[in-house]
Amino acid sequence: MSTPLLELRNLGGGYPPISVFRNISLSIGNRESVGFFGPNGHGKTTLLKTVAGLLDPWEGDILFAGTRLNAEGRMRARTSRNLNYDLFRRRRIRAETVVRAGLIYVMQGNLLFPEMTVEEVLDIAPRAAEGRQGVAEMRLLVDDLFPRLCERRDSKIRYLSGGERQMVSIAVGLLALPRMLILDEPTLGLSPKLRIELSQAVRRIRESNVPLVIVDQNVEFLTSLVDRLFLFDHGSITREIDAGSMPSHDEIMTMMFGETL
Amino acid sequence: MISLDTFFFILASGILLGGLYALMATGLAVVWTTLGVFNFAHGTFVALGAYVAWQVTQSIGGGAGFLLAAALSVIVMFGIGFVLHYVLVKPFERNTNLVLLAVITTLAAASIIENGILIGWGPRDKQITPPIEGSVGFFGASINLYDIVILLVALLTLLALALFLRRTSLGRAMRAAAQNREAAELMGLNVSMLFAITIGLSAATAALAGVFTGSLRFISPTFGADPLMKALVVVILGGVARFTSPIYAAFIVGIAESFSAYFLGLYWAPAVLFAMMIAVLLIKPEGLFGHRSKTL
Repeated sequence: MSTPLLELRNLGGGYPPISVFRNISLSIGNRESVGFFGPNGHGKTTLLKTVAGLLDPWEGDILFAGTRLNAEGRMRARTSRNLNYDLFRRRRIRAETVVRAGLIYVMQGNLLFPEMTVEEVLDIAPRAAEGRQGVAEMRLLVDDLFPRLCERRDSKIRYLSGGERQMVSIAVGLLALPRMLILDEPTLGLSPKLRIELSQAVRRIRESNVPLVIVDQNVEFLTSLVDRLFLFDHGSITREIDAGSMPSHDEIMTMMFGETL
Repeated sequence: MISLDTFFFILASGILLGGLYALMATGLAVVWTTLGVFNFAHGTFVALGAYVAWQVTQSIGGGAGFLLAAALSVIVMFGIGFVLHYVLVKPFERNTNLVLLAVITTLAAASIIENGILIGWGPRDKQITPPIEGSVGFFGASINLYDIVILLVALLTLLALALFLRRTSLGRAMRAAAQNREAAELMGLNVSMLFAITIGLSAATAALAGVFTGSLRFISPTFGADPLMKALVVVILGGVARFTSPIYAAFIVGIAESFSAYFLGLYWAPAVLFAMMIAVLLIKPEGLFGHRSKTL
């Protein structure tokens, strides 16, 4: 078996001192897309933020294309009222390293840079892909996916609607030339019309052979898009479902919350 | 009443002061909007910049010496500002009390730099020889040619800084890091280094202001206190909603200062400025040209 693209080994983390998820182990193959489904507030976003390098993992390893992205060992939680341990404690993972490796995380409900124009943001987005080929082609794809952004290129981000902001976020992620793209609830809080528009864009990204990791609250959308689905509950993966046996929304609800009345 | 040429003389000296204050205050405002910390060492950046330039003009005289001194001072202060980010701000950035800690670390740096100047250059007043002599008429008042050059260079520097932040890729990355740190990290930007460059640029503009001020007045080790105070008044008065807000406010403060110095006396001028600042804080706390957001 070839090395998986993304592999998590016994990963645990949270917001010190509160542990949010623990013992997450999974591996995602080279051309595979997976989905995460679970109730709000159970640690999906915290897990993805840790993988993206925004939060320090407490224990376990994050491997991307065979390379470990985090520092070895467990995090030592030392605090003192008198000494500043932050002076000596180094970050255990850096977002820059993760992004340069090609693992791109598109944040949930990202406000981006309110005072910058769409064009300015899209202009600096490819800095992450420095030295790699294909930015120009990706720019064409982005323009094709989100024609609305071309119309609004000179608007400041803070004057954009929620859906347009989400489009900019995804476009920024794509322009970094991802080897794997993590989308955290791309359709959160959008009108039905925009939701359909964005779902179609995500589907086309999937078809252009970018492996996706998607979190969403819409099971039908997820099951139609991904090869495997992880059910996430109370900070751990409770179940893994393969493409062949994708259940319906009601069946998943039953799995997670027990028999409904 | 005063005669018309006196009026224009006061106005012109106020505009010159405004140009210098704009240079000082913009550096302070850029750091405040980007890092969210207030740099109390900004005044000593002005002083140290002036001393570095003075040292160079001692060995190389004339106009060329002055140009070299200004350039060297700006470069050295950029480097010092860059390094100071890693010493004064970065070790504490994960602490919830960052703002308060940065007040203390930058005050400490101000004190260390000030006393370092005292040890290195001694307490005696010094002055950088102005490179340009001569004067021109301005509505009957006679204005030094050098003052006009200073004003133009200050405004061009600010214009260049604004263009750098808006048009270049590095400048845009700096604004991105200022507006949303997490999102900037997710774009693979090295946020710490961008912050260090921000403080470096702020220190470089402070150095330029120091070179100019040092050629108009005497410089002493405690020379940085006054520019810091004026820059603070300007930033509070104008707000930091846009890049230009502190620049407008700087000219208001400069003109108000030179008129109150003429009519009320030199010792009352700071009182007038602080009264203006308090009035603005009471009526429009986000500043004359401000709104709630602070951006670069």
